[in-house]
Amino acid sequence: MARVGVVGIGHSRFGIREDASLRELAFEAVRSCINDADVPLSDVQSMVVAIASDELSYALQPSAQVGDYIGFHPKPSFRAEAACASGSMAVRAGWMNIASGLADLVLVVGAEKMTEASTPDVTEVLGRAGDFLWEHPFGMTFPGYYAMIARAHMAKYGTTEEQLAAVAVKNHKYGALNPNAHMRKEITLEKAMSSFVVADPLKLFDCCLVSDGAAAILLASEAVAKKLRPDPVWLSGLGLGTGSLALAHREDLTSLEATVEAAGQAYRMAGIGPEDVDVAVVHDCFTIAEIVAYEDLGFCPRGEGGPLVEHGETCIGGRIPVNVDGGLKSKGHPVGATGVAMAVEIVKQLRGQAEEGRQVPQADVGLSHNVGGNGQHTAVHIFTRA
Amino acid sequence: MQFRDFSLLVRDTKVRGFAEGLERGELRASRCVGCGAVHFPPRSDCPTCWSGEFTWEPITGTGRLITYTLIKVPPRHFAPDLTQRAPFSTYVYAPTAVGLVEMEDGLRVMGWVCGVAAQNLHVGMALTPKPEVLDDGRATIVLKSEGC
Repeated sequence: MARVGVVGIGHSRFGIREDASLRELAFEAVRSCINDADVPLSDVQSMVVAIASDELSYALQPSAQVGDYIGFHPKPSFRAEAACASGSMAVRAGWMNIASGLADLVLVVGAEKMTEASTPDVTEVLGRAGDFLWEHPFGMTFPGYYAMIARAHMAKYGTTEEQLAAVAVKNHKYGALNPNAHMRKEITLEKAMSSFVVADPLKLFDCCLVSDGAAAILLASEAVAKKLRPDPVWLSGLGLGTGSLALAHREDLTSLEATVEAAGQAYRMAGIGPEDVDVAVVHDCFTIAEIVAYEDLGFCPRGEGGPLVEHGETCIGGRIPVNVDGGLKSKGHPVGATGVAMAVEIVKQLRGQAEEGRQVPQADVGLSHNVGGNGQHTAVHIFTRA
Repeated sequence: MQFRDFSLLVRDTKVRGFAEGLERGELRASRCVGCGAVHFPPRSDCPTCWSGEFTWEPITGTGRLITYTLIKVPPRHFAPDLTQRAPFSTYVYAPTAVGLVEMEDGLRVMGWVCGVAAQNLHVGMALTPKPEVLDDGRATIVLKSEGC
């Protein structure tokens, strides 16, 4: 199969970006991506845009705002969507664009402006990503769904609230070193443990941030990638899995079936196993989600996700460094941007360009894991240097 | 944006009889006429044999709590008075736990947990799902402990 390479990466600062519109945020990411690739936009043949929510942008076809503002028309562009995994859907669609032969240079952009809506409205819209007919009417929210997953994981495996908090402490430690992160400050275990309860047992510091931001990558066919730069990073494995709309219909509440499926596809396609991964970014929308991801991705046996983070095995120097960009927890989670931002981070790690203190040494294989909703869609992508 | 409550939403579906049953005090699953599969939440279309015909099947007995939460930050539609409250208000929102019980036949039912203090909730405890009509006339599902 022909290979697809990443030849450019761009990332806006994440945060409460009252200073910039959706289109301006996207422009920031596209400009840095185009500069990184050193390719004029006129050479780019096609674009895929991820913006998760019509409700947050309060507009149909918000991707048109991006295309217009960067001056892309009349070339092909469309939008990809799967809630919080929208960005990875756009990466996948970009890969398909090239693998199919339709184009050999494709721009993938993810962007979201979330903070214009109030927190209760964001909670409402995100909560409706689950089963809004049968579960949302009980007041279920996104934190509520993951709280139920956490409670089941604690009951089955003895996972503790301290282990959940350890995920937040680790991700804030690395987020503090990332200039693009929303919340650049370290937190203590005590602070995380004493924060107010959002959905029992999840507290404020178990939850990711509501952020604005954008990210972009430029994908190229093998021939074009080799011509453009000496060090393209290859998108070597793609997996996409789906899961039930209702949480009640999950056979096992302590695992996301969609992740297991997606990871299996991606590992097979790349011809590697979990033990070969040098650095990973996983979907830590809530701290429990990172622990479940360790187990579903095969980084540790079932039930050992809590001890894995507690013993520092997912820090740099540990068995498998995870979310050393700060994760959704500290870097922020502008939903449509997240999947693309994950690709940016892994490419940065594989090129050895991450900031001091958060670069994983000799990283040749990277993995991104991006969940839509509470497991309705999951994408796993594997990136390699060779 | 306008959000509608549980019973109103179900009324605009092919399983609207579910809401009518709840109001009469009956909690019901659907049984596919084609292959006999029982579904909860009820569904008019069977994903196994593709039949569009179903009958109602009462859900009785006691289930086991498999997970639960207390949502302290509710969505907007749920507690509008909380999310629109005055600044510096001292009003405290005291949520009822939401739980998921698994019945003996494997069906799972979500509902409000009734009659158990939050600190006494635990995975594995016995709870019985029952319909309940609220003071404002809306029907919902509660998970009742013994003696509640």
